Amino acid sequence: MTRLSLLQTIAAILSQLGLVTAALIVLLGAAMIFRRRLGILGHTMTSPVGLIGLMLVLFWVLVGLMAPGLVVQDPLLQITDMKNALPGSRLTLPDGTTVTYLLGGDVLGRDVFSRALAGAREVLMIAPPAAALAYMVGIALGLPAGYFGGAFDAVVGFFANALLSFPVILLFFLLVSPEVRDSAIPAGIAAVLFVLPTFFLLAAVNSRLFVAPTRRNWVLGLLLAFMAWLVAGVVFDADPLGMVSLDPNILNVFVAVAFINAPTVFRIVRGAAMDLRARDYVQAALTRGEGPWYIMCWEILPNARGPLIVDFCLRIGYTTILLGALGFFGLAVSPESPDWGSTISEGRKLMAIFPHIALAPALCLVSFVLGLNLLANALREESLRD
Amino acid sequence: MIGFALRRLGILVLTMLFLASMVFWLTNLPSSLKKMAKSEASVRMSDADVDLWLSQNGYDRPLTARFGEWLGVLPAWQPETESTLPGRCAAVAADGGQPFCGALQGHLGRSTVFDMPVSDVIAPKLAATGWLMLYSMLILTLGGIGLGVVAGIREGSATDRIVSALAIASTATPDYVWAVLLVVTFASATSGVSPILRDWGLIDTPTLLLGTATSAETAIDFRNFTLPVLAIGLYGVGYIASITRASMVEVMKAQYIRTARLKGLGLGRIVLRHALRNALIVPVTVVMLQFPWLLNGVVIIEIIFNYKGFGWLVVQAAGNNDIELLMGCAMVAAVIVLITQLVSDIAYTLLNPRLRFG
Amino acid sequence: MAPISPKSDRSLHARFRRLMGGAAVDRREFLALATTFGATTVVAYGMLGLPAPAHAQATPKRGGTLRMAMTVKELKDPMLMDWTEMGNLARPMLDNLVRYTQDFTFEPQLLDRWEVNDDATTYVLRLRPGVTWTNGDAFTADDVVFNLTRWCDTTIAGNSMAGRMSALIDEATGKAREGAITRTDDMTVTVQMARPDIAFISNLADYPALIVHRGFDGTVDTAKGGFVGTGAFEMERYAVGERATYRRRTSGAWWGGEAHLDGVEFIDLGGDPATEAAAFGGGEIDANYATATDYYDVLTGLGLTLHETASANTQMLRMNVTQPPYDDIRVRRALQMVIDAPKMLQIALSGRGTLAENHHVAPLHPEYFDLPEKPEQNIAEAMRLLAEAGQADTEFELISVDADYLRLPADAFAGQMREAGLKIKRTIIPGSSYWNDWTKYPLASTSWSMRPLGVQVLDLAYRSGVAWNETGHSNPEFDAALDRALATADVEKRRAIMGDLERMLQDSGVLIQPFWSSMGRHATPAVQGLGMHPTFVVDCAQVWLDA
Repeated sequence: MTRLSLLQTIAAILSQLGLVTAALIVLLGAAMIFRRRLGILGHTMTSPVGLIGLMLVLFWVLVGLMAPGLVVQDPLLQITDMKNALPGSRLTLPDGTTVTYLLGGDVLGRDVFSRALAGAREVLMIAPPAAALAYMVGIALGLPAGYFGGAFDAVVGFFANALLSFPVILLFFLLVSPEVRDSAIPAGIAAVLFVLPTFFLLAAVNSRLFVAPTRRNWVLGLLLAFMAWLVAGVVFDADPLGMVSLDPNILNVFVAVAFINAPTVFRIVRGAAMDLRARDYVQAALTRGEGPWYIMCWEILPNARGPLIVDFCLRIGYTTILLGALGFFGLAVSPESPDWGSTISEGRKLMAIFPHIALAPALCLVSFVLGLNLLANALREESLRD
Repeated sequence: MIGFALRRLGILVLTMLFLASMVFWLTNLPSSLKKMAKSEASVRMSDADVDLWLSQNGYDRPLTARFGEWLGVLPAWQPETESTLPGRCAAVAADGGQPFCGALQGHLGRSTVFDMPVSDVIAPKLAATGWLMLYSMLILTLGGIGLGVVAGIREGSATDRIVSALAIASTATPDYVWAVLLVVTFASATSGVSPILRDWGLIDTPTLLLGTATSAETAIDFRNFTLPVLAIGLYGVGYIASITRASMVEVMKAQYIRTARLKGLGLGRIVLRHALRNALIVPVTVVMLQFPWLLNGVVIIEIIFNYKGFGWLVVQAAGNNDIELLMGCAMVAAVIVLITQLVSDIAYTLLNPRLRFG
Repeated sequence: MAPISPKSDRSLHARFRRLMGGAAVDRREFLALATTFGATTVVAYGMLGLPAPAHAQATPKRGGTLRMAMTVKELKDPMLMDWTEMGNLARPMLDNLVRYTQDFTFEPQLLDRWEVNDDATTYVLRLRPGVTWTNGDAFTADDVVFNLTRWCDTTIAGNSMAGRMSALIDEATGKAREGAITRTDDMTVTVQMARPDIAFISNLADYPALIVHRGFDGTVDTAKGGFVGTGAFEMERYAVGERATYRRRTSGAWWGGEAHLDGVEFIDLGGDPATEAAAFGGGEIDANYATATDYYDVLTGLGLTLHETASANTQMLRMNVTQPPYDDIRVRRALQMVIDAPKMLQIALSGRGTLAENHHVAPLHPEYFDLPEKPEQNIAEAMRLLAEAGQADTEFELISVDADYLRLPADAFAGQMREAGLKIKRTIIPGSSYWNDWTKYPLASTSWSMRPLGVQVLDLAYRSGVAWNETGHSNPEFDAALDRALATADVEKRRAIMGDLERMLQDSGVLIQPFWSSMGRHATPAVQGLGMHPTFVVDCAQVWLDA
């Protein structure tokens, strides 16, 4: 076994990530050119903070998308001689091929570098969609609660506050245990979480297109079919097309994370809706004779987007951190998973003598969340400037 | 004001009832009961023995009946045959056998893991966590508000930029990552600063600080408590700092500050005399609202540093499906969160004369 | 030195001469057996022409408290105990009748000596004189009869001694057979087996066989000192999940004189190796319970001493033959052939252990038979078998508990299977939930701790229909041979039967057992007389601190 020098290792890592870097440059270049048409996202690129944030987030998104092509080897492959190998270790296998563990090997001789990249994919597969689902649910409930107020607001608000007063970890222990996983509870919660935004989307489309019934019926039909397909695949693992499928373990975590975030989003959206419903343009729409759903979906929501986008960025970061914490408690996604939380927790045990095993995923996690926070910061300043 | 408080209190009670029933339902799934029976009697027990144990100890009765007993609206169950666990009222049977022994009567039941009344288990753990939260709060308040004020005095200055950047970096680094980094740097006999300090003869212990807070359960000192407190503090301080900074920036732009500056008053004087008082309203309420956040945050830190507080207890209770202990923990946590919310709501309204109770 | 009865003495010497007449004889093969039949460790070593290992070279110093990291579980009735840690939490206060030593021999503890007839059906237990309980009572035959009788009670849920005492139990009543346990005199108890049972002495040394006072009612109140005991220490404070402290016995004298240590403290660090390393680094503990092989270097690097022992502890994969696809022997054989045992030993245990042979009898068991067939990796043949069974594309689900010592080997197994081209799905179940269905999982990693005799684990785990049979292994021929082995006191004759048993188990394909793990523990250099025990016994009365 030989070792690359520090410089060689860095160079090798950069070249391994060449594809991502190239894609990043192309994307950023294109964004720079068209930034005037990109709205608020384009504005953020004018500040260095926003640019760095955007770069970090884009980098990890690209890594997540391209991870299978970027890894040096299968993140689960174990090479006995690479057990706890130091960064830059290079080994010639009996069959003549040479493998290099750019960031070293872990306790089972797996490649830390490949696992960190594959971990990005795991995290990106759960955190942003879970945050998005939480947002859909929060908006679907928060808008009518804030706009109508009254009993609906009181009841939903009660449940949201009740969930918020629950220690997150305790909720996770209750929801992610094998007993609950094997019961119908996660599927039940998931079904509710998906049905709410579906109704909301249908109402939104209907309120906009009810003047053109034929077109409306087509769009509603397609939308319904799409959501049904998503629910069948994600919740019941019965996608007729076989494209969407979720491990029950991942569904469980996904649902729990969305479930825990939804009440906070509900509160934000509700607050925004209460604030905006007294605005002039809402009054104008009312005098035009628009229905409440039209006003909520097409007047209030677009005007509330600023703080919502900022919070969405922060929430993805928070969800990433939460997923990591779950990894620490062994409530994580799945065994052997390269997700950052589990690998940090695993590597921590040997931290004193082999720090690379925990440091690599820790740096990944911190840089991704940092990117999101910087982006959120830049977005906030932009939206304040408007 | 009184009506407002009463309504909040009513909601509080309803919330607790809702949470209690949820936890009770989730911890009493048939497989969860089996899990508890196995951890109580013997993990390698046969299924027939599990059923025997469950019926001997009254767990085979309907869920609603047992919830009613826990709540204290139904008479407590007493074992007829010999049982390995005492019935609900066993602890208070001395004064003539009280028929109702539930949460309403102040009996939270008995922990199966610790074999003690739930309240006796929770109280010392809550106190232990209280210390951890107190010190962390100190860092959050002093560090966060201090840095925020310094940064906010001159928006856009080098100090401001550095503090803002640090604040963002701090919130992007979760407590468990801080914990890992801090332990390796300060509490490892083979890495970080300790071997060097030892070589120089500056410390006579193998490590500068302790990587476990186990000894803090008996006596808190600098060595055993610094790292867990720092790990929590470093993660939370950025948020408080940025809130304070924003508030400070806003206040510094206000007309009366400009007037004061034009009058030629020194910056230090202006900040201390005029700006601080107004700038701190929001951060202080936000700091108070960190209480629930801390209660969550300490769980992972208590596990990493093996500090046996409330968070550790929650993990033990959940891991062993200790039903009544879990119920107790959930209730205590919910009460703390709800009361903090209530207090900070009232505080905010009092501090902010523009808001009136609706 | 305790005398051995002339009869067993004679037969022992005869056997010993036969043993030594053979070519190379592993001394361990002899020691456990010789001491089972009543020889002391010194005598047994003497018969081999070896000096008994001397453990305490220096004169023990008095004083100090041993602080050991160990899980502090709820203390309960010994015969219901299901973790070795529980045994160690009771052991400062309670003793066994017989002690299994770190030299793989049996020594009398609360017994003075014992006598066995040649076919292992009658055991005469002679009690150690001068033993007193902490409540002032003398230790008498009544105590022994009381313990033996309650061990035989199968109506108590979770009584793990009942399985070990089956030769004393009347199946009709589920309790001790009339005349099985006799109080001969104040200091003598005679035990009459329904059938020969060579494992009896070994069972007496197990942790659920800790001896309680004749007035024990099955409940343990740790607030009031836990047990009335015969041991060298008394309980001071007990907090589940946190710590348990003991101080040198003050009520009545301990039969062994006086403990060297002022006190013992077990501190629960949550079983996390990182926390343990930090606690060692900060000088908060003197010893740990066991070190996982992956952390040997971390702890040794802190200047701690590694105490290591060979053992018949094992982590392996077992298949349940009642669950498809493992009901097909071709699948089981194929999975066995996928594994490269030496590589597994390296990756899972950093090479700290010895290779095993898929039959759960270890070379250090006295009756081990060295089968010529050793498991070997043969991926081509494995794939052929799987294809023949129609399972070439099956996704195999490998279940393990979330504890590191089973999770990591299971991950290593999964890695090798995947490398061979199988589809593997890993499932982890938290410790508290795992035991709900532990005997029913189709393919799972499992661990078995060491039993001194080879027949013992076979009897517990592979006999048809027994409670702990997690493989569903059921073979009348195997059961019959096992009965014969359990009744055969002569080690050479038993070895021959053992060969058949081992082969049957190997051929059944129910387990994939690449290695026996070595057991290690770390302690500061000051800790003396602790060592590491193959069945995890922590005997605090022997420990002293060289401060």
